[in-house]
Amino acid sequence: MPEWMVILLLIVAKLGLIFMVLLTLAAYLVLAERKILGRIQLRPGPNRVGPFGLMQPLADVIKLLTKEDFIPTQADKWLFLLAPGLAAVTALLTFAVVPFGPPITLFGHEVPLVVCDLNIGVLFFLGLSSLAVYGMTLGGWASNSKYSLLGAIRGLSQLISYELSMGLALVPVVMLARSFSLTDIVMAQADVPFALVNPLAFLIFLISAVAESKRIPFDLPEAENELVGGFHTEYSGMRFGLFFVGEYINLIILGSMLTVFFLGGWMGPFLPGVVWFSIKVLFVCFFFIWVRGTLPRLRYDQLMHFGWKILLPLSLLNVILTGAFLLWRQG
Amino acid sequence: MSIWRDIKGTIEPFWITLRNMFRPVVTVEYPEVRTELAPRYRGRLILTRDPDGQERCVACYLCSAACPVDCISMQATEAEDGRRYAAWFRINFSRCIFCGLCTEACPTMAIQVTGFFEMANRNPLETVWEKEELLVDHCGQEPDYNFYHHAGIGVAAARGENPGEDKPVDVKDLMP
Amino acid sequence: MPTLTIDNQTVIVAEGGSVLDAAIALGIVVPHYCYHPALGAVGACRQCAVTILEGSQKGLKMACLIPAEDDMQVSTCEEEAVAFRAQVGEWLMTNHPHDCPVCDEGGECQLQEMTIGAGHGIRRYRGNKRTYLNQDLGPFVAQEMNRCIQCYRCVRTYKDYCGGEDFGVMGSQQRVFFGRFKDGPLESDFSGNLIDFCPTGVFTDRTNRFRTRSWDLQQAPSICPHCSLGCSILPGGRYQELQRVRAGGNRLTNDSFICDRARFGSDWNNHPKRPREARISGEKVEFPYALELLEERLEKLVEEYGGETLRLLGSPRASFEANLLLKKLAEKYGAPAPYYDAHPRRAFAARMAASIPSGQLASLKQLRESDLILLVGVDPLAEAPVLALALRQAARAGARIVALDPRPLELPCDFEHHPLTQESLLRGLSAPEENELLESLRQQLETSQRPVLVGGGELLGGEGLRLLLHFSESCCGSHDCLIFPVLHGPNSFGGGILGATGDSNRNLIEDLENGNVRALICVETDPAIEHSEPGRMQLALSRLELLAVFDHLPTNTVATADIFLPTRTIYECAGTFINNEGRMQAFDPVLEPGIPIVVTGSGGHPPRQFETTPPGSAPRSAVHLLQWLLKDRNDLFGLRRQIIKELPCLRDLDRLAAGDNGRRIADCGDTLEESRTEIWAQEGELQVLPITARYGSDLYSRWSQSLTSRFEEPSVWIHPVEAAERGFVNGQKVVLRTVVGHFHLPLVFKAKMARGRLIVPCLPGTPLEVFTPGGLSLPCKIYSEVDNA
Ligand code: SF4
Ligand code: SF4
Ligand code: SF4
Ligand code: SF4
Ligand code: FES
Repeated sequence: MPEWMVILLLIVAKLGLIFMVLLTLAAYLVLAERKILGRIQLRPGPNRVGPFGLMQPLADVIKLLTKEDFIPTQADKWLFLLAPGLAAVTALLTFAVVPFGPPITLFGHEVPLVVCDLNIGVLFFLGLSSLAVYGMTLGGWASNSKYSLLGAIRGLSQLISYELSMGLALVPVVMLARSFSLTDIVMAQADVPFALVNPLAFLIFLISAVAESKRIPFDLPEAENELVGGFHTEYSGMRFGLFFVGEYINLIILGSMLTVFFLGGWMGPFLPGVVWFSIKVLFVCFFFIWVRGTLPRLRYDQLMHFGWKILLPLSLLNVILTGAFLLWRQG
Repeated sequence: MSIWRDIKGTIEPFWITLRNMFRPVVTVEYPEVRTELAPRYRGRLILTRDPDGQERCVACYLCSAACPVDCISMQATEAEDGRRYAAWFRINFSRCIFCGLCTEACPTMAIQVTGFFEMANRNPLETVWEKEELLVDHCGQEPDYNFYHHAGIGVAAARGENPGEDKPVDVKDLMP
Repeated sequence: MPTLTIDNQTVIVAEGGSVLDAAIALGIVVPHYCYHPALGAVGACRQCAVTILEGSQKGLKMACLIPAEDDMQVSTCEEEAVAFRAQVGEWLMTNHPHDCPVCDEGGECQLQEMTIGAGHGIRRYRGNKRTYLNQDLGPFVAQEMNRCIQCYRCVRTYKDYCGGEDFGVMGSQQRVFFGRFKDGPLESDFSGNLIDFCPTGVFTDRTNRFRTRSWDLQQAPSICPHCSLGCSILPGGRYQELQRVRAGGNRLTNDSFICDRARFGSDWNNHPKRPREARISGEKVEFPYALELLEERLEKLVEEYGGETLRLLGSPRASFEANLLLKKLAEKYGAPAPYYDAHPRRAFAARMAASIPSGQLASLKQLRESDLILLVGVDPLAEAPVLALALRQAARAGARIVALDPRPLELPCDFEHHPLTQESLLRGLSAPEENELLESLRQQLETSQRPVLVGGGELLGGEGLRLLLHFSESCCGSHDCLIFPVLHGPNSFGGGILGATGDSNRNLIEDLENGNVRALICVETDPAIEHSEPGRMQLALSRLELLAVFDHLPTNTVATADIFLPTRTIYECAGTFINNEGRMQAFDPVLEPGIPIVVTGSGGHPPRQFETTPPGSAPRSAVHLLQWLLKDRNDLFGLRRQIIKELPCLRDLDRLAAGDNGRRIADCGDTLEESRTEIWAQEGELQVLPITARYGSDLYSRWSQSLTSRFEEPSVWIHPVEAAERGFVNGQKVVLRTVVGHFHLPLVFKAKMARGRLIVPCLPGTPLEVFTPGGLSLPCKIYSEVDNA
């Protein structure tokens, strides 16, 4: 077998693996979320399909696939059909730059455990996360419904606001690691994870990440009880499912990013890197669910106020402080 | 300071929810496990009969007036012997909220609640119950009461023959 | 007007008002039973105790008996009075049965409310209760004597106010009984008022027995459609069925009383044969289709043959708005002005009445306050029953009542009856100075203070009303001599206003027979019943190219119409009637039109199914249908504003509200000066006069099933002397031959009727229905059945 073929096969296998793992994980994350929320509320959560309700995701998929795919007559049909795909694809693409373990040697090849180690990984991530807005916005706009439109507008302005502090929270990380490549960032945390080095940046990123995920307490674009589901009000069946899956993939991405940027990536004693990485990501996901079970939804003005008047100045300050600290250390 | 209060108020719930995750669940797994109903549980309604075996309901429209969701409808009519009864009596159980106000309004103890609640149905029209289905063959929780023996207008017994009544007066009598 | 203070609130009451009136005006509840505004106070129940703190009498008093005085101080909450009222309430309840759930009064029972209001809630008396045996009082009123509290209101209503003679109070002590001497239907034509006036459930509506509770009823103030008086009524319906009618309260007209015809004759609205679907040549179709077809055919007809070939017929039972729109329709198609009554003589009478200056028209209130009432050619109990009640009230206050009428009149009061024939009446009026009787009456009228002349449009016709008007002007120079015309239907007067502009010598039937008429639109009228010669009318109708009928009654014309459109009844839409004294009164819809649930469920529970009829397929009102044809988008209010612009004499039309006292029209124009030559039969030839029967002859009661028990047996009436001359005996079967046919009827002697005349009441469902009241008497021959053979 020629070498390029081996490399190609490996890449394809990697892709397939990531794809599978990601989708399965997203599906079970839904179940986990329902179970955990149930427990927080002293309920058992879904427990009827399969042992402990483990087949629930399958049942959900079947349900979503067999439901009527409904398109409102007044909708912009093409955009309406495109939007959910956009949401899911941008979420999936981000994973291309996530290093989930140290390079391993397979068939005599050194295989980096990342689909593509871009040297501008951070920017790629930020870029794609901005693109993700399109899925939601177009979906909301194309539905031609006041609820959807309101949800989309809310989502748009919320994401733009928090993207800012998110990006700024990453500046110290880049300054510390002196690289835009995610692999390098992980490497830089071999001793101490950045979460401890720069807890303020960690906190800002964490909050922005929750906002970015459009989950409670920042779920204003969906806000069931005021917007009846927000930007996806008019979606049904598998198209709704795509939005849904996109949201949970996004959750995993954000978990991975937190892990990579602040929690030391795959670094950790005793256990193999991939396992460490998974544990950390899953813990972050759990944390997100826990937040959902704990905090109430913000009011819209509170959300904007917090983003622009608190988070943004804080992250700017942090950039300056970190720069000053680094200069001081060098000097 | 309010900022500390806010921070505390944000952190503390996490502890509470975390603690809850390890508490036993309170859900009763219904079809397999059945709870003990309270003795005055308000379930499906019935129309009972009086001790003589006659329909108690006199179609007075009080229950339908009391019902906050307007799910009782009926039409009163008169029998040969002057007895007022319901020609038809309908409860729409898909609307009923089982508040029991109808039973409290009922002056004849006709409409009563039971502990039966399993009425879920795929066809909404089948949750509409008519008098034939509502009427039972017993007195329910009120074994003794017979409205027409106290009404004082002579349906169950002739006028003046019920407990607490004098014989009809003779209006043409001039005796003091 | 005394000003007094009750519970620290100051109030002004009308002169002669009592302390109870003052409290009621303030909204302070003082429990009372025997007092009723229409009956006055007698102090029988002792329930209305209050404490007078300042005034000419002080201490615990009956509020209904103490006249309000200036600077009086009254308290309703002194301990003594409160305890007194609670005690009286308890006494009144000692014998009351425990049967509210099966009592039809429940929910609107004065006894229930006032007992609680008096502070008596829990029974302490443990002894036996008194019971009575009930009487069977006929098909209208049910009795449950055990509920009586001896307030005497029933006697005061039935005997004192309505003048009934077969009902009263009997017995003594604890055995007082209110009823007839023995079982049997109540004879008064106002027996139903017992139901409204008894504050308990002793008297309830038998026709509505156990059907509903007041809180389930849909009610709205309305106007009685049975005669031209326009009494205010309060109909109630439920489950798409009109269930009962109660009296409204308009102190200017009927003042809380209505006749039995109105109260028990409302079920025509639920008639099982009532046409509810549009039909084209007898085939059911969707109504928009029928309407479009009608428009199309009308346009084609007008285009081809011109508007003169189209005739429109309004009706005294259609609302004023509908009749007015009909006029506009005529203008739109260039057709001659519409007719408003198929009966030419009645139409002329209505036009004549409508032209009387409005200041000269009397209201029922003025009639009640009059001191001399002259009835000319009117039988109140048949043509306008509540008029009889007003006459009685006038008589009770000392008025003299004189009647000139060929019929054997009965009135619930004393009166002087001069049985003149129709012709001699009319002749007398045309030359009163030559008539001794009228001359003497004229002198009496001149000397009385508030005289009223009541003229029956049916007997006198327009010509007679005109003569009566002249007569009144001749005898009441110094003061107002009021006229009270009695017309045919609830909106006859309105038709009279609208018809005033038309050419009076036109005659619908001649028009139709001339042959150049091709289409006729009838709005809520059946010309074949209403016209004086039904057979001839039917023939004329059958020759039409297009007969369009808008109606809600199952008439024969509806069945034969080319295009039929169902309309709403007055209980199902809003509109205005103008009564016989020119009072505009609005009515509101009570019900939505639809097939009653008793019908859809055939007595049992209504079918369990989802509605399949599309919304909007229920009948529309005649106004709506005509507006559609006219492309007029006004709502009712806008329509009324528009009417005012065209007819300034109706200037208050847009200020009407259903349930108010109505508003008089202003003068619409000059008094009609035209006269119409009528050929009055000579005395001496035998003539038969068809008259309105008490039940069954008016526009609606022939379709009221609950009234059928009151319909008379068909018969022909004759004066005993007249009969003796011809050798007839009372009850004998005779053959009556007239131009409309010959009839086999029993002969009935009536001593108080005019001589030289026969009288037949027009009864639906009998051979006599071919007669129509409102015309002149007809020549006839009479034989005993044996001779005829
Ligand atoms: S239980 Fe309550 S809701 Fe149900 S019928 Fe009775 S009054 Fe109505
Ligand atoms: S309240 Fe009782 S008696 Fe009256 S209608 Fe209802 S069930 Fe019948
Ligand atoms: S029958 Fe009615 S109105 Fe007559 S006395 Fe008795 S309670 Fe009064
Ligand atoms: S008098 Fe005439 S208007 Fe009055 S209630 Fe009787 S029928 Fe109706
Ligand atoms: S109302 Fe005054 S005594 Fe009856």
